[in-house]
Amino acid sequence: MRYEGIEGRVALVSGAGQGMGRAHAERLAAEGAVVAANDLDPTTAAATAEAVGGISVPFDVSMPEAVDAGVADVEARLGPVELLIANHAFMTMAPFLDEAPEHWRRILDVNLLGTALLIERCVPGMVERGFGRVVVIASEWGAIGWENATAYAASKGGLISLVKSVARAVGVHGVAVNAVAPGTTDTPQLDVDALDAGVSHEEIVRRYGEDIPLGRVGKPEEIAATVTFLCSTNAEAFVGQVLHPNGGATRVWGI
Amino acid sequence: MDADAVITGAASGLGAATARRLRQEGLAVASLDLHVAADVDVSFELDVTDADAIENAVARAEEQLGPISHLMTAAGVYELVPLGEIGPDAWRRMFAIHIDGTANACRSVYRRMKERGRGSIVTIGSELGLMGDPEAAHYAAAKGAIHAFTKSLAMEAVHHGVRVNCVAPGPADTPLLKRDMRSPEYVNSLVLQRIVRPEEVADTVAFLMLEHHNFVGAVLSPNAGAVV
Repeated sequence: MRYEGIEGRVALVSGAGQGMGRAHAERLAAEGAVVAANDLDPTTAAATAEAVGGISVPFDVSMPEAVDAGVADVEARLGPVELLIANHAFMTMAPFLDEAPEHWRRILDVNLLGTALLIERCVPGMVERGFGRVVVIASEWGAIGWENATAYAASKGGLISLVKSVARAVGVHGVAVNAVAPGTTDTPQLDVDALDAGVSHEEIVRRYGEDIPLGRVGKPEEIAATVTFLCSTNAEAFVGQVLHPNGGATRVWGI
Repeated sequence: MDADAVITGAASGLGAATARRLRQEGLAVASLDLHVAADVDVSFELDVTDADAIENAVARAEEQLGPISHLMTAAGVYELVPLGEIGPDAWRRMFAIHIDGTANACRSVYRRMKERGRGSIVTIGSELGLMGDPEAAHYAAAKGAIHAFTKSLAMEAVHHGVRVNCVAPGPADTPLLKRDMRSPEYVNSLVLQRIVRPEEVADTVAFLMLEHHNFVGAVLSPNAGAVV
């Protein structure tokens, strides 16, 4: 289906070089949005930008000056950011007591602080103009926690609280802020899980799929459809909600 | 093409708004409602608590429109009664309309979807089913039951190609809304400082029915900030 209110909008997608981020960029572009593809890796950001007819804005979301300059670059070339998709993530897995402190810091800096910086930079303009959509990619693990992913889960849980807090503050100004907490989805990030479990990417996809009522892990384009819906005009009634596209994984149902 | 939908409660409110939205998307819509529905392809007048009437109507809808691949259960009632004053009849009526009504429609339509191995069902819950309502405990309990029913059916149906999800709207601009939920005092207590537009709920239902997504047993709540 097609959505009202996306055509012609300027969308900034972070972590758009691969996986889900690329799928968000593709779907938003297909709906007529003009996409700025961010990634830490300039090569993949450029590839996504080229594929969707948008621009490439590689920068490190955890660096305040880089965020400021990167968003200014988008504004100068495309206009103000109207749809912000905070999709970037950094993940390592290890038992809690073995997790290196520098990994903890990096995970929180990229996942939580990076999203806060993007919101801080983009949302005031949205409020001023009376329209905006922010979709933050959290994680099923941010809602329920996960063994061997303590820092990652904590960062994603923090994102959920961040989304709810910002949504309460800006909803009345036409800015809808929501989170999508995907269940296991087939992206390159699963390589981290595969490494942790000592198996191949294909094997981890099969194992995770067995635990999901739908019988398989999610596809990036399924999450992208949810993100796109939350950017549409009539998604304004969603205020600080967490949507769980996860194939029916019941472990989040108590949340 | 089997892109037909059955909507209970399609004569007004959220059901009517969704019927209009689905017809825009090219679906043929059958209404099951106490009253005649205007903006639909075929309208059956019945009481959703009557399982036989529903079964008959669904069979006739399939004869006229073809295989039904989408179901929305929107038929409902709302009333404000202090907890101590809800008598047994009011309790039974509230549960009969919401839970029996939802289950009756799901039973007739899901059985057909299961045989064909595909379909999408969206039930209508409520933000009050999430947060409770001291002035309508029977309504809140019935809606909460719909959430639990939805998740239960979803777990079974997903193995037969049928997706089942729930939309739990906030206070929406429909005939069911009580006058004091339109008062400035109440409206300003919502984050958006306005009530939900029926079109916002209709779009959410259409998304769950028609989009390529992986929601199973989910409860989506477009509620204007009533429950964050």
